[in-house]
Amino acid sequence: MDLLDFIDIVQTIADGVLFGATYAILGIGFTLIFGVMHKINLSYAAASIGAAYASLLILAGIKAPALLVFALAAVAGGVIGGIVYLVAFHFIPLANPLATLMSTVGLLLLIDEIIVHATAGVPLAYPALFSSVIVPAGPFNLRGDLMFVFGLGCVCMVLLLLLLYRTRLGLATRAVSQQPTAAQLCGIGLTRVNVLTFVVTGVLGGVAGAMTGAAIGMLSPLLSLPLTVKGLIVTVIGGLGSIPGAIIAGLLVGGLENLFQFFRGVSERDFYVMLLLFAFLVFRPGGMFAPDQGHD
Amino acid sequence: MLKRPAALIASLGVIAGLALASPASAQERTIKITGFGAKSGVVRVFGINSEAAMKAAAEEINKAGGVTLGDGSKAKITVEFLDDRCNAEEGISVIRRIASSDAFVAVGPTCSNVAESLFGILQKKVGDASDTGLQFPIIADVAAKGGLAKISEWAFRNVPSEFEMYKSLFAWVKAQHPELKTIYGGVEKDFAHSNATYGVIKAQAEANGLQVLGTSEWLLADTTFSTQVREMKRANADIVAISAHPFTTCGLLKEMQRQGVKPKLLIGLTSSSSIETLQGCAEQAEGIIIPTSFAPVTPAAIKAAEQVAKFGGSADLHSAAAYEIMFILKDVIEAQKIMAKPNTVAADREKMRAGLAALKETNGLLGKIGRTADREAIKPFLYVHALRGSWQVLYKPSS
Repeated sequence: MDLLDFIDIVQTIADGVLFGATYAILGIGFTLIFGVMHKINLSYAAASIGAAYASLLILAGIKAPALLVFALAAVAGGVIGGIVYLVAFHFIPLANPLATLMSTVGLLLLIDEIIVHATAGVPLAYPALFSSVIVPAGPFNLRGDLMFVFGLGCVCMVLLLLLLYRTRLGLATRAVSQQPTAAQLCGIGLTRVNVLTFVVTGVLGGVAGAMTGAAIGMLSPLLSLPLTVKGLIVTVIGGLGSIPGAIIAGLLVGGLENLFQFFRGVSERDFYVMLLLFAFLVFRPGGMFAPDQGHD
Repeated sequence: MLKRPAALIASLGVIAGLALASPASAQERTIKITGFGAKSGVVRVFGINSEAAMKAAAEEINKAGGVTLGDGSKAKITVEFLDDRCNAEEGISVIRRIASSDAFVAVGPTCSNVAESLFGILQKKVGDASDTGLQFPIIADVAAKGGLAKISEWAFRNVPSEFEMYKSLFAWVKAQHPELKTIYGGVEKDFAHSNATYGVIKAQAEANGLQVLGTSEWLLADTTFSTQVREMKRANADIVAISAHPFTTCGLLKEMQRQGVKPKLLIGLTSSSSIETLQGCAEQAEGIIIPTSFAPVTPAAIKAAEQVAKFGGSADLHSAAAYEIMFILKDVIEAQKIMAKPNTVAADREKMRAGLAALKETNGLLGKIGRTADREAIKPFLYVHALRGSWQVLYKPSS
């Protein structure tokens, strides 16, 4: 291995880790819903991309600044999150885990098809901030837009942690997550907490969708399924219900994915990512940061 | 007293009306041409464009008086378009549905994998009594993978030959840019059309003396291209050829811009000479050269583009083929004296197949289209390049 190869490898990992911030935000959404409701929401990534599309379609014809587009994606994400709760969870018997799983699969396909019908499946350019900025770091170059995505992802994660650990809503959310019956006996409205959880994770999803669009520079309905798979992998590797786990796993998966591609090519890349998932499921099913199971 | 005469007059009026109306409505015949292709999923735009092109052509034909049937009556054409979701099973199901109706021909499909499968269920050789395959003529407008019509004598295509296009393009590159010696390729590995066309591009580049320095690969839904572009940057080739559809073509071009990769010549896939590429990355695609069988450069092509837009579609090399097919079908219906009656369905299908097979030349939007013995088209083409956010004609080989 010569110096050029070494530089390429480090650069490859750095690019992957920075892009992994979008996986991390998606992973947080998956994990938060699981943490509160003990249900997997498979439509989450599709809803995130849907929110990013909504921000573009609402502002169609207006040359809006990128930050406004991102903000609108977050708002749209929150609205879609609330709708997802109503459609796929609120009226479905929660005691049957398969029922909500299948309803979210249906919603994933529905959201995808709505996007396709609204846009004819045509990829749309998505605005990015700092897309022409390249930050040199010795022999390496760091993409300004990905650093922005990474930074915004970190801010979102901090805000979410503050929300969870420093507010009454966060306290209620954690209470419902740990002991729903006891939380209800203490006067916490389960439905209210569930709806708010979906809205908050929806806002986060909207940001993730916007950041994904910004990082690629485009949006396509093709993104929903791969991002759903990535979000699930991140959630499992990080530990179902663990927010720090989702953050670290997102960055890890992003970096490793690029590394596998560098060494084994694009046709084997996903194979190794899946092997990694399999290894975690077998040897560490709780993930890297499995949360406490609560107290009875 | 007044009621009876009034009722009588009214009844006579209705009867007279019916008597007068009947012959007229008997003369006012319509025939339905059914198209099929992808109208859902990420390739939905292909179906939308094909349907719009078929409807635009039907309107043109109808405005000019319609089509003359075998019994001398005139008929208007209506168009129905069915969704096969770019899925082989759905495609087969759709074609069986069409074949179970009075239809005597179908136009489609969008995707090569669908065409490959459903051409496979057609009777291979006409008149082979031992072959129980479907005896129904299909003419493809979009499915681009080479040589598909060979599968069955009931299968026809009006798609351009990518082999001829890239053969001509690389010969032109050799003549115009003799200083360019090396090429680097990029291919969307999991898409049949991109993958097959990359084989053509690579072979033609080598045949014209270019040294292929390497190939980067990615998948249709990939989101990052930094590794591939770094490989490309290290190769530092004179020419970069990208065999991919607009979504990843744009992703790659944006990454090339970020990493400062500026080849002396950029070549793209036929399907990327569309509005989607310009919507996604006009700035980065500036200068990319693509061979295409459609551009609004002739009066007929300009008119077709306007008509297709009226029906909510966009005219490109694929939908233009659908537009041309409608006029081809009109000519065959008239030449073969197709009756289009419920009791002549089998005979009409035979006539349509025989008529399409007998064609040596048809009219196209860019000029005459030759027909080969294996039921493919030899379409005129030109090279376009992206210039300030639009596709401009760079060179017309036939001129």
